[in-house]
Amino acid sequence: MQTNFTEEQLRDPETSVANLILRTCVHCGFCTATCPTFVLLGDELDSPRGRIYLIKDMLENQRPASEEVVRHVDRCLSCLSCMSTCPSGVHYMHLVDHARTYIEATYRRPWHDRAMRRMLGAVLPRPALLRLALRGAKIARPLARAIPGNSVPAQRLRAMLKLAPASLPAKGAAERPGVHRAVGTRRGRVALLAGCAQNVLDPAINDATIRLLTRMGVEVVVAEGAGCCGALTHHMGQHDPAMHAAAANIAAWSREIAGEGLDAIVINTSGCGTTVKDYGFMFRTAPDAQRVQAEAVSALAADISEYLTRIGYAPSRPAPGLTVAYHAACSLQHGQKILNEPKTLLRKAGFTVKEPAEGHLCCGSAGTYNVMQPEIAGRLRERKLGNIKATKPDLIAAGNIGCMTQLAGDALPVVHTVQLLDWMAGGPAPQGIAAKSGG
Amino acid sequence: MIAQPEPKQDVLAKRDSIVAGLRALVPGSGVIAEAIRLKPYETDGLSAYRQIPLAVVLPETTEQVAAVMAFCHREGVRVVPRGAGTSLSGGALPMADAVVLGLMRMNRILDIDYGDRCAVVQAGVTNIGITQAVQAEGFFYAPDPSSQLACMIGGNVNMNSGGAHCLRYGVTANNLLGLRVVTVAGEVLDIGGAHLDAAGYDWLGLLTGSEGQLAVVTEVTVRILRSPEGARAMLAAFKSNEIAGACVDAIIGSGIIPVALEFMDRPAIHACEAFAHAGYPLDAEAMLIIEVEGSITEQDYYLDRIREICNRFDPVSLKVSQSAEESLAIWKGRKGAFGAVGRISPDYLCMDGTIPTSRLADVLGRIGEMSAAYGLQVANIFHAGDGNLHPLIMFDANDPASFRKAEDFGADILKLCVEVGGCLTGEHGVGVEKRDLMGVQFSEIELDQQRRVKSAFDPGWLLNPSKVFPLKPGVAAAA
Amino acid sequence: MSIIAPTDIDGVVAAIEAARDARTPLAVRGNGSKDGLLRPVQAGQTLSTAGLAGISLYSPQELILTAGAGTTMAEIAAAVAAKGQHVIAEPPDFSALYGTAVPQTLGGVVAANLSGPRRVMWGATRDHVMGVVAVNGRGERIHSGGRVLKNVTGLDLCKLLTGSFGTLAVITDISLKVLPAPERRGTLVLKGLSPERAVAALSRALGSPYAVSGAAYLPAAMAARVPVLAWFGDSVTLVRIEDFAPAVAYRMERLKADLAEFGAAELLDDGASVAAWASVRDVAPMVAEQGAIWRVSVRPSAGPAVAAALERAFGAAWFMDWGGGLLWVAGPATEEAHDAVIRAAGVGTFMLVRAPEALRAAVAVVPAENAVLSRISRNVKSAFDPDGILNPGRLVAGG
Repeated sequence: MQTNFTEEQLRDPETSVANLILRTCVHCGFCTATCPTFVLLGDELDSPRGRIYLIKDMLENQRPASEEVVRHVDRCLSCLSCMSTCPSGVHYMHLVDHARTYIEATYRRPWHDRAMRRMLGAVLPRPALLRLALRGAKIARPLARAIPGNSVPAQRLRAMLKLAPASLPAKGAAERPGVHRAVGTRRGRVALLAGCAQNVLDPAINDATIRLLTRMGVEVVVAEGAGCCGALTHHMGQHDPAMHAAAANIAAWSREIAGEGLDAIVINTSGCGTTVKDYGFMFRTAPDAQRVQAEAVSALAADISEYLTRIGYAPSRPAPGLTVAYHAACSLQHGQKILNEPKTLLRKAGFTVKEPAEGHLCCGSAGTYNVMQPEIAGRLRERKLGNIKATKPDLIAAGNIGCMTQLAGDALPVVHTVQLLDWMAGGPAPQGIAAKSGG
Repeated sequence: MIAQPEPKQDVLAKRDSIVAGLRALVPGSGVIAEAIRLKPYETDGLSAYRQIPLAVVLPETTEQVAAVMAFCHREGVRVVPRGAGTSLSGGALPMADAVVLGLMRMNRILDIDYGDRCAVVQAGVTNIGITQAVQAEGFFYAPDPSSQLACMIGGNVNMNSGGAHCLRYGVTANNLLGLRVVTVAGEVLDIGGAHLDAAGYDWLGLLTGSEGQLAVVTEVTVRILRSPEGARAMLAAFKSNEIAGACVDAIIGSGIIPVALEFMDRPAIHACEAFAHAGYPLDAEAMLIIEVEGSITEQDYYLDRIREICNRFDPVSLKVSQSAEESLAIWKGRKGAFGAVGRISPDYLCMDGTIPTSRLADVLGRIGEMSAAYGLQVANIFHAGDGNLHPLIMFDANDPASFRKAEDFGADILKLCVEVGGCLTGEHGVGVEKRDLMGVQFSEIELDQQRRVKSAFDPGWLLNPSKVFPLKPGVAAAA
Repeated sequence: MSIIAPTDIDGVVAAIEAARDARTPLAVRGNGSKDGLLRPVQAGQTLSTAGLAGISLYSPQELILTAGAGTTMAEIAAAVAAKGQHVIAEPPDFSALYGTAVPQTLGGVVAANLSGPRRVMWGATRDHVMGVVAVNGRGERIHSGGRVLKNVTGLDLCKLLTGSFGTLAVITDISLKVLPAPERRGTLVLKGLSPERAVAALSRALGSPYAVSGAAYLPAAMAARVPVLAWFGDSVTLVRIEDFAPAVAYRMERLKADLAEFGAAELLDDGASVAAWASVRDVAPMVAEQGAIWRVSVRPSAGPAVAAALERAFGAAWFMDWGGGLLWVAGPATEEAHDAVIRAAGVGTFMLVRAPEALRAAVAVVPAENAVLSRISRNVKSAFDPDGILNPGRLVAGG
């Protein structure tokens, strides 16, 4: 597609990358069909191609972001379904990330929007703060219905309270840095991204990961100084906090790499995985030493399902006689192009695995999307649950805490893939799940 | 930029009241009028041509479409219908004084009748959406244009879209039973239905492929077919275009009609392989994708016979797909071909002429000469069974001279197609892209005949008037 | 009435110009084998395309044949058969039905868009007309389409002219898509089914993956008039497969199993299949009927109900093709019977195929169009034939 940047504009490295991405796009429109918001809203402006065009126009004219552009870019889930579809290889993720940063720099949002974003950006990545906030939310939960009006802030508040869990689990093993020794002969050493929100919302996932890996002879390190991957703030266009978080992780893991060494950086929250795998790009203009470290970290990053496939997983319990609807998290299937590993592992573990229709469509979670865009997120959730239920499963398995939170609270239990794998390899049954046979 | 009829000044002058009128008919977010938000609607799949419209309206029902049409008719406003905006001929290119009527929100499947083998769908349902809705019962909708993932059935009807499998299953026109359309004056008409071959004039046939010139399609009754027991693709690679062309003749001459018979030349093979990793033969000059259907035994029977024929033409390689995944990858390469070219060139123009299949080698030779003369690369993809040729001309849109050369090169190819007994467009439609070449294929008398047929439906030339017919003072402009 | 039979397109142009100057309507026809179809034309002269005969192009590997409108179907069938191909839509031959001896022409088949049993799977004649050359009512030569199989250049006047019965333009040349003829044909026969059960069986067969190319039902009385079917002594439900020999054998077996609940099927071999389907195609069982004959096309599952309604209304004799979607109906040549056909066809379509001239002149021989469509119809007619000299009244009174 034709672009109209001046040579001076192209000297800016960010603009130059955007130009290259835009030039790859041939405007064929294939991406529209698999975009959740286009499917729901039927407007070119709410499709990847429309957003690309809005962003192109904004960048070419060096115009401050307008309310219209912000509205349509904000509606993007960053699910990256478009990238799976695109035959031309347009790197939509980098383009929309850039647009978000540009928006934050040039657009003044309404006060409530700013407040909400600042609050989410400050609280979600900090476990202590998040725990505190969720306690508050627990108390406020019954009041959700009492919040009056249909204003944006009112809708978002209601959505947020709805998402808050009714009870908070105890802290898990991964909340503190430390080394979890391999059982028996050590065959590998990995760092685990313990994450931020996941640790508070469902520490059982990290516990299961550590149990399973150590049982398989892998030493698991929760590195000192590593924390949030930066994705949450990154996707809200909060460039500096995101880079800080990422830099801290790079430094922490680089120390481990330089020390006892790492075979992989294992990530069990696929939303984070996509970002960590992109550190190399995010730090492409950083000083050499940091850039090289970032590239090394990205190269070592592996989703838990990738790593388990690599080292070979085998169950020790008899098949549980359960049917699992596998929900493909967008960050796994589109962001990291991991399609088959989780399903293959679950089948190996003895589950019957169903793949719901429209598996490529996002469930509406998308980081903070279900808080910021509750209406669209709600419609996507209903659609997703409808497709899942049509497969008549006993439970839902997913590889991302965001999706799990989004899909929870309906008739079916939602668990992380690794919890099921750990269970079948000798670990405890995930809460609320029982085998129908064997077990 | 392509010439457009003079915008109607009176319409431009009353833009605000037109927008307000539309808002009253299609409430909510269904009317777009802000400059920034109109911008992404300035073009379709042919992004070389652009024009910001007066407004965009996104109705959700046939009644709303009828109300919008009646309103625009009363106000003398031109209307450009649009589906997914995937046209490669600029079929949905707006006009400065026109309302773009987007059918994307009409995306519901209204009825599926397996006993009578038909489905009623709204115009904004995607082509593949129909197949997805019926495949659990073992059925499919046959026409499969490469953009089938995104393109909408309303657009398919208006362009009479084809696809890779139309050698066996026909194009859109051959797979329709009925239409619900809205006339330029806002009247709703039902054409055909669930029965075959209505007596009287073949309105269904005339409306199909009419490129939004005659009426706005809002609902479509399509035939659905039972899927074959199975299908298998085979790749046959040859040392030259001539040899591959002769092999195609021999296959058809033997009495076998494969369900698909696709040809790719060397540049196309390389571009698609880079995208799909389907094991395309990179050492060949030309490649055929040959697909057969039926039970495993039937597939073996056909493939054995085809292999026997191919072997007579000294193939570089012959490879039969061994699994559904392999077949899928083979087709992924072919169906993503246009976009895949986007990986090796920033921009391309996709031509769509048809030639008598016997002239293939000759035509490709001359395209090669033109390519050298213009200094622009070209990759050729060809529906070999039916003669539909897609040369993809690669150029750089940021270089105006390169674009002009690409346009001229494309025009020369299409003139060549007509010269050897073919036509300007096999399945993408004339749109705005080939409008000014219509004189190569039709006399002025013939064009006037077609214009009078348009006038019979749309006397004021309000429907998509800058397309298909070369602009003619006194026809479109006077209206 | 004098007959002009030009031997080239210039002659057609001259005849139309003369007629236009003289304001004398022309009856347009080929050999006149289907003069009994639709309404009688009031014309001063007849313009016959019979002289525009001959195949000008036949390229079997390109699946295309071009011939003058006056070329007989027999000549075309023989030419393509010599190369192992066939005319896809298997148009019927009504000479027995009308009691005429003249051979029908390609132009006639196209102008009437006549298709036979294979239509249900492989499309109608209109689907295979790839190009036409014609002279409109202004005496202008126009062409649409061409000699290639895929062509969307401009409005599809091929489709508009096909089936327009010479009321818009006189077609002089036609390019027709052809296909390899099957190596073998086979027919599966289920006997003794009710019409409803028969359509259920046909629907199952047409909804199977076996590419069924014929699906018909003949009540016992109709079957008795077809020699190769008479010995069944009951109603017959016919399902045809055409392909290479091994495929036919395989699919017949599969269909037999799939249709087992409808009874034990018997098989007709290649020769008997050809004979049986020729009878269905040419409406042979109705040749002996005395009154009027209609062709009714409806949603296939509605076929039995339409047949039952017409039996009740006037004791109609009938049989079904196209899986129930096409009914051939015979009954008294009265306006009452015709009205009953119109009512029974409902949202489907019908055509008065054979009737005394008086009835054909008095009734709507095809469904009347609503006000909007009939306005467009008049506009389109006048876009081709502003003075109304081509076949006036053939389709619609005054049109």
